[in-house]
Amino acid sequence: MKNGHSHSNGKAVKNGKNGANGAGHHGTNGSGGGHDGFVLPTTTGIRTIHTPSVREAFAGKHLLVTGVTGFLGKVWLGMLLDHVEDVRKVTVVIRGKKGEDATARFSRIVERNPAFRPLRDKYGPGLRQLVADKIRVVEAKLTAPMCGLSCEEARALTSDVDCVVHFAGLTDFEPEPQQAIDANIHGARHVADLAALTPTKRYVHVSTTFVAGMRQGAIEEKLERGVSPTGIRFDPEAELRELELGLTQGSSKKERLDYAMGRARALGWPNVYTYTKALSEHLLEGRTDVVTTTFRPAIVECARSYPFQGWNEGINTSGPLVWLLSTAFQRFPAKASLCFDIVPVDTVARSMMVVVAAALRDEAESIYQCASGDLNPLFFERATDLCSIALRRLAEKKDEGWFETNVIARLDAQCLDDVDREQILGFRRMREAARATRNFLKDFELSRVLPPVVYEKVDGEKMEEKIRSFSMKCRTTDRKLGTVDEMLRQYRPFIWDHDYRFRTGHLKAASERLSEEERALFGFDVEDICWRQYWMHVQVPGLDTWCLPLLRGEKVPEDEPLALGEPEEVSADGVRAKRSAADPADSAETSERAMRATA
Amino acid sequence: MTQTAAFFRVEGTLTERTALAAAAWLASNAQGLGERFARLGNVAIAAPFRLAGELQTGAAATRMTWMGLRGMSEDRLVLLCEEYFEKYVKDDVLEVGAELVKQAKKQGRRVVLISDNVDLLIAPLAEQLGADDVVCNRLEMRKHKATGRLEDPVIGGNVAGQWARAFAAEHGIDLGDSWAYGASAADSLLLSAIGQPCVVNPDRQLRRLAKDHDWPVVEK
Repeated sequence: MKNGHSHSNGKAVKNGKNGANGAGHHGTNGSGGGHDGFVLPTTTGIRTIHTPSVREAFAGKHLLVTGVTGFLGKVWLGMLLDHVEDVRKVTVVIRGKKGEDATARFSRIVERNPAFRPLRDKYGPGLRQLVADKIRVVEAKLTAPMCGLSCEEARALTSDVDCVVHFAGLTDFEPEPQQAIDANIHGARHVADLAALTPTKRYVHVSTTFVAGMRQGAIEEKLERGVSPTGIRFDPEAELRELELGLTQGSSKKERLDYAMGRARALGWPNVYTYTKALSEHLLEGRTDVVTTTFRPAIVECARSYPFQGWNEGINTSGPLVWLLSTAFQRFPAKASLCFDIVPVDTVARSMMVVVAAALRDEAESIYQCASGDLNPLFFERATDLCSIALRRLAEKKDEGWFETNVIARLDAQCLDDVDREQILGFRRMREAARATRNFLKDFELSRVLPPVVYEKVDGEKMEEKIRSFSMKCRTTDRKLGTVDEMLRQYRPFIWDHDYRFRTGHLKAASERLSEEERALFGFDVEDICWRQYWMHVQVPGLDTWCLPLLRGEKVPEDEPLALGEPEEVSADGVRAKRSAADPADSAETSERAMRATA
Repeated sequence: MTQTAAFFRVEGTLTERTALAAAAWLASNAQGLGERFARLGNVAIAAPFRLAGELQTGAAATRMTWMGLRGMSEDRLVLLCEEYFEKYVKDDVLEVGAELVKQAKKQGRRVVLISDNVDLLIAPLAEQLGADDVVCNRLEMRKHKATGRLEDPVIGGNVAGQWARAFAAEHGIDLGDSWAYGASAADSLLLSAIGQPCVVNPDRQLRRLAKDHDWPVVEK
């Protein structure tokens, strides 16, 4: 079983398009010389069992990767550099941002981002050498044709690339539609164009399980081109053309968004994000010049162990929901029996390693879903229950004051099932009450109401101070309620309307074929997740460190930069870089995002 | 080979908190606000039965104590029990009891904790004290929710005596040379079944019994 990268026959070529395209790259082993498996007679016939090695698949290979500055991309790249030493080269395609060119942006991530902590711990300042040896940073704009590269540049860039991996995307649920189209549809198309220039035409596309749209129940790992979730036949090319044409007519973002949402809903997608991601999948499905492997993760959440327990970044999907539970809200508008399909980011990155390895061996299925609901479902009822206990423990640990710890943190929310949502939540009425209280207290002067003697006695100034602060709180509450109402509207399809059960058979099968050692590193491990342990010790503390501060407009910690000085000093102690306040550029960026999210 | 054991009735000798207090605390930390009051009320029904004495009411009082937890999720109960132990039990183990456990271990006796509390609360205590066996109640779970029933056999003060004899027979323990520690009148059945009974911080009824039987009394 040594020659893992020359695959065996049998189950090997499943991807139907392999025959037409890059299959010739490896060839099948008729001679048996490179046979890396053994044949077992089974009741159904002959079945080949082999243990394909992820590491061997990557050995000596050159990958071109987009989106490594994103949450998942970073963890995956870190894992690749950490666990697969033999990969020859990784070309990362990054766009410069805010006056920072791609190289500087990437260096900052490598040196400071917590996702690269294990690598910094392992290599110390030697990481710079490793990065210089293995990584090539290319500045490119994915939204431009051929990623903004000239024909010669693109050819030179891709001449010896073995696989193109496309992480980049825009994950906002309701962004400016044209931006979503540029990032999620044109971006993917342009990267696929680059993949088409490579000798092997392999293209791994990261999508989302929620392209399933408005459907219920089991979602298989397949795609029927030109058929929408509600079963309507459509032409993806024409749909995109009409969508873009329609968007040019809209005069405001709201109009454009309404138009895009209208089209999305008509076909059966609940928001612009899933709509553009799905259109992209449909368009790629029709291409014959690349061998596409689509990877669909569900909701990507805090890491269980890699890069370290609890790691998360930015305002992610469950962050706002957990924040909502941490407030005095009693009724959580999610259906108790709905599956909350979250997957730890390291599980997604591991799976992605397996998928890219399979693509490199030309053995990949055309679609892999990475979700927990199929094998180890977590339901909203349980998640809410666990979350409230985790939050109250957190509050006790922080000791934010008697009222917060003993009253607010102990008000545990419950899923509200089969009740009129609007009535129970009563957002409008609550906002009105908050606004009225605020207006009443705004100009309230205690000295006018109380006789001077009493005013003196009750320490009136102090009381007035308290009243003012309470009135400010009312204003904040009013605004927060608005934010929450808007947020819940956006989340509704995933927490109320649709009960998906994403099938993950392909990934499980691929993971089972790995050797025991590699399964420990890269195996699809959702079945091992103990949700109780995960929520208590990983998810809620992780979000509290890396996500909730952003929602409150605060900074999240960032690591000390990689030491420039004596290499021995750092590596000898093996001291991990300590967290410090975020550097100004990045914190500005994150808090800006936070503001946008809460505004 | 026969062995000797030291049986400790947890409530009274090792902690001051009764099973009723634990059940009430768990009930008052249920998920919903209204639910908390309803459950507390449910647990409170057991109070008069317990006050009447376990000897009179048998296992019924014990069963009723835990009935109020019906429908609470396993997750919540496990986590709340962890919390209860950390907050109210861990650092509040009665010194005299802990000392007796230490002594028993030194003398090579098998330390057995007997409690009408549930295993989720007693198991960490047993670990902390280094006890060898735990005999306590278990909440019956169905589909990861408590049914409100206890798994059989229900352990209460009144059955401790029969149970101790069965336990001794099963594990080859010489009851004549074993010790038992109890604190309330209900423990008298356990104490009288075992060769070397000892009374720790007894209630009035048990103090009188101890005097009549000439059992040693340990006070903190």
